[in-house]
Amino acid sequence: MNRREFTKAALLGAVAAGLPIASFAQGSRTIAVMFDSLQSPFWISSFDAFKAEIAERGWTMLENISNLDDSRQFQQVQSMIERGVDGIVIVQTDANAVIPAIRAANAAGIPMVHYNRPPAESDAKSVAVQADNRTIMRDTVTALVEEAKKQGGKYKAALLIGDLGDQNAIARRDGFFDVVDQNTDTVEVVARIATEWNADVAFAGLTNALQANPDINFLVTSSDFLHPQIEQALKVAGKWHKRGEEGHVLFAGFDGDEGGYARLADGYLDAVGVQNVFFEVDLTLNALQDMWDGKEVDDLLLDPGFVITPYNFEEKRDEMWGYLVWKSQNG
Amino acid sequence: MVSDTTVPPRKQGYRVLIARLLSEPAFTVIGLLVVYTLAVTAAVPGFLGAGTLSAIFISLLPLLIAVIGQSFVMIVAGIDLSVTATMGLTSVIAGSVMTANGGYLADSALAVPVGIFCFLFFGALVGLFNGLCVAFIRMPPFIVTLATMMFVSGAAVLYSSWHTTSVSIGGLPSGFTRIGYGTIGPIAFALILTVLVVVAADFGLRRTTWGRWLFAIGNNPTAALISGVPVRAVQVSAYTLCGTCAGLSAMIYSARLETGTPVLSQNLLLDIIGSAVIGGVSLFGGRGSVLAAFLGVLLLTVIDKGMQFIGLTLFVVLSVKGAIILLAAVLDALRLRYAEGKS
Repeated sequence: MNRREFTKAALLGAVAAGLPIASFAQGSRTIAVMFDSLQSPFWISSFDAFKAEIAERGWTMLENISNLDDSRQFQQVQSMIERGVDGIVIVQTDANAVIPAIRAANAAGIPMVHYNRPPAESDAKSVAVQADNRTIMRDTVTALVEEAKKQGGKYKAALLIGDLGDQNAIARRDGFFDVVDQNTDTVEVVARIATEWNADVAFAGLTNALQANPDINFLVTSSDFLHPQIEQALKVAGKWHKRGEEGHVLFAGFDGDEGGYARLADGYLDAVGVQNVFFEVDLTLNALQDMWDGKEVDDLLLDPGFVITPYNFEEKRDEMWGYLVWKSQNG
Repeated sequence: MVSDTTVPPRKQGYRVLIARLLSEPAFTVIGLLVVYTLAVTAAVPGFLGAGTLSAIFISLLPLLIAVIGQSFVMIVAGIDLSVTATMGLTSVIAGSVMTANGGYLADSALAVPVGIFCFLFFGALVGLFNGLCVAFIRMPPFIVTLATMMFVSGAAVLYSSWHTTSVSIGGLPSGFTRIGYGTIGPIAFALILTVLVVVAADFGLRRTTWGRWLFAIGNNPTAALISGVPVRAVQVSAYTLCGTCAGLSAMIYSARLETGTPVLSQNLLLDIIGSAVIGGVSLFGGRGSVLAAFLGVLLLTVIDKGMQFIGLTLFVVLSVKGAIILLAAVLDALRLRYAEGKS
């Protein structure tokens, strides 16, 4: 093969490689699903749920992951607008930085739905689907405080806080303090650990907090994806014990992923605030459908979520998305 | 003479081709651009539309400014790993001055000019610090700028947390955000700003003594010193300009996002250095141009845009970009070996 033949073959190959993608994009509706990362089971499960539900509806999905880069995500939104998608589902990193992207979608007449994270307030029009983070966290911490009161004694608490650029992290933090501030006779907060939604940062922060306050016996995490790091830090501190065992740390999580389910089932976790992934995905796609149909859609659609504890475990676990993931992984 | 007669003509042809590719990376970049664009257009016919091409061009402007700044430093055989952290720091400082949500100069006519000054001043300040450490304390650029990156990115988050309950600072005035979107007549303001930087940088590199000094230092700092080049001062100027360009780039990014954020473009470092290397700015110093920076930025931006259009997963995008940057770095090393072999 000479150089000219090689060049021709390479070009033909490149064109042929693109054809399946071109034909794939011929669905009735094309949705851009734009996440900022797939860094936790919640986001992975959500992403998979979107893929499945979009295919179920006979639509086509184009995916874009921004790798936590706001500028890149803005460019991705512009690309999807130029591509002529019918709707955009977005998970932004920063509530403020997404506003220009909403404006761009507004100008192009393309409906945009924020999945699980609302944007900051602005004049730009979009719909947000969100778990009622503050209420779910409030209910979760209430369940933990009730357990503490049942067992008696005073508790030293640590809270793992998420990235404060994320409205959900702020709401979960506020939900935690709504309860503990009313129960200072039982719970004293000795550590607020900023995790920036980063597992390594969380591990280092919790390890330091446990060294500075070895009597921590009440722990709440703003996301279940941090469970492996929390387990490791508690093990190192000699505090990883099941309910009923001496030295058990009262422990609550948030999200309801498979790790949360497994630890709750094994007796290490006392309460989990659950976001309903499948409900939120449905809510998101239904919102797009309603906007295409010209119906009025509220700016904020709430997933009420629920709290699962050892007391309602059997009754509630089938509604917990993490249980379904766990079941599919473990037969 | 002997070697000319012993090498078969076919082999000589390949050597000439390799020599050409190594000495003129622009050919490789343009070739890749054409092949890639054709492939993406085959998959997504709208890719070559005027709207997309215009969007590619507009989106690459702030990256180009940052890459030009990095090129100054790379030409003197240095590297600045702190550029993205500098961008984050300038973004939040300027944001805290301008924001309508309790900014230092909220609703004042001075907010935007002072905000712009903050981008440039604090960018230059970080660059100056890097330059002084490299030139006068003789610290390796890699370590200095890596440490600066850590310090500055931490400081940016801390500073931001003093000014807002969340991490980012919104509510920037429309007079400022117009830098990102606004036009003067039919021409984007960001384009005018970038063209000014491009023209000034190109003039500085090709038409001034300072530009020749940069290349001389990059090729051989000892020989440059003996020849009377003020090596330290020129090194400091290169790092300071790099910081200033980072500030300017951050200004356009912040205006486009309408937000001051400490994590502005935090994942852009490899794109900045990679673009420069792809275009032909040498990691080993002494080689580079504004055109090289532009070609590198254009290729990476087109690749990004194409993969966004197709809707490929992040992992494919990262792998493809990483492979191209790696290829460019290998070609750069081969180019150096080839040049050494010739001399």
